[in-house]
Amino acid sequence: MPRISLPSLLVNTERPQILHIDLNSCFATVEQQARPLLRGRPVGVTNRLTKNACVVAASYEAKALGVKVGMTFSEARVLAPDLIMIETDPPKYHYVYKKLIKIMRSYSPNIGMKSIDEGVIDFNGTRTNVNQQPLVVIGHEIKQRLRDEVGPWMKCNIGIAPNRFLAKTAASLHKPDGLDVITHKNLRQTLSSLQLTDLTGIAERNQARLNAAGIYTPLQFLDAPADVLVRKVFRSVCGEDWYKRLRGYEVDDLEHSIKTVGRQFVLDEQQPTEESLQARLSYMCETTALKLRYNNLAAYGVRVYIRYKSGDYWYERKMFKTPVFSGSDVYRRAILLFNRRPHYDYAREMGISCYGLTPSNQNQVSLLEEANRQIWLTEAMDTINGQYGEFTITYASSLPSRGLIKQKIPFGSTRYFELLCNRA
Amino acid sequence: MKALFTFINFQSLKELKMDQTTLINKDVSIVAYYFKNANHRLRCFPKRMEYDGRRVNFTETGLVHPTKKGQRTIHVFDMTDGNADYRLEFDAQNLTWKLICISDTHYAAHITPVFAS
Repeated sequence: MPRISLPSLLVNTERPQILHIDLNSCFATVEQQARPLLRGRPVGVTNRLTKNACVVAASYEAKALGVKVGMTFSEARVLAPDLIMIETDPPKYHYVYKKLIKIMRSYSPNIGMKSIDEGVIDFNGTRTNVNQQPLVVIGHEIKQRLRDEVGPWMKCNIGIAPNRFLAKTAASLHKPDGLDVITHKNLRQTLSSLQLTDLTGIAERNQARLNAAGIYTPLQFLDAPADVLVRKVFRSVCGEDWYKRLRGYEVDDLEHSIKTVGRQFVLDEQQPTEESLQARLSYMCETTALKLRYNNLAAYGVRVYIRYKSGDYWYERKMFKTPVFSGSDVYRRAILLFNRRPHYDYAREMGISCYGLTPSNQNQVSLLEEANRQIWLTEAMDTINGQYGEFTITYASSLPSRGLIKQKIPFGSTRYFELLCNRA
Repeated sequence: MKALFTFINFQSLKELKMDQTTLINKDVSIVAYYFKNANHRLRCFPKRMEYDGRRVNFTETGLVHPTKKGQRTIHVFDMTDGNADYRLEFDAQNLTWKLICISDTHYAAHITPVFAS
């Protein structure tokens, strides 16, 4: 079968219409805004104040001392002895997130949040009548509005480019508080100042793939023919996407549907007992079911995993015949799998996820009285918890974990942010 | 050996207390307010608080954000008097002020904080 060579594309010469906003060290900056005494000091934000919990966000003062996101508290303290660690406070970040969305929506209806601290404004179609100023002016205006509406310590990076990928690259060029524009005119110059791993989506493995094909710099990556990227480097349609992405054509304007819903927890006890493990599992099942109901979904499949102290990993999963959406049903299935686990070491981390998702038939009255009771009970619990705060009514099996497992800020997705912040 | 373990545990506890936050969770009196025109809305902020027989004059407002407890809306005020950070909660339903916690300046005392004003 003859190979069809991919058409070569020139760099996109259209006027940049995408503006990427990235709040600098978001959680740490918000904490410094909220607590003036922390300003100018190395601050780390973590999900839980334990030695093994990792740094979720570090302030620029901490970053200057070598503290990086993902380090454990102990490692970070070696580098920065004066590091102040504080626990995440989701309502604060939610407030800033909502403010950011409000500011972004005032410019264009076509916005998208990439994560809690990153958003994209697509100005396509809005420049004729509304946003007639140059995007650089609008960028500076957004920075000022953020300072006025949230607080003077808030800073953000702004990147302007013809597509989402280049706009994000532009936003990471001058941190903190930078504003950069990438167009077809300065694309080569900008890429020449970067490493391959500076590009979003190119980490160690993709770098190795590119290196194997003789590509060592972003400029060489840009100059590589589409055929080489598709057939030699990525061996998939990803190569074509990269070819277009680097030239300023939009390939990332996609919405992904939910495939799994789950919860994980690093255990708070060194040597957890069987009872405490089951209590944690029950609590996680309840929160997972809550997320399912929040998205009007039910799940056929349940997967449970455990990471042991030795570093070993165990998981078990199963697809069932009927879908579930209530906490007790998810727990019943999860405990079935959980009891099959090997007992040779203490568990350090455990998690549960539901897959095989389908739209929930919660509103469908069943012929079976038992099924209806389960639905009504879940609805009644959700109503009471909605009125008086989450886990006002909960299952007895989850009670020992209440207050121990806290809802934390999820990385990346903002899908459950509203749900998380509605909790008391 | 036992002494060594005791030492390590003590060290780890000391490390975990870096953020010197004291939980209070008590009702307090806000005896003075100041008003600010923010985003075309006149907004009210606490200026002076009476707590435990002493007066605290706030010098700067950090962040004011709403949060929910069930269906009750609570307004959280992060304030400072220049020596410590105070977290106050205003219950919009019961119209009460609660001092949640005080974070003092013992941490990294040799680094000078940067104030907005």
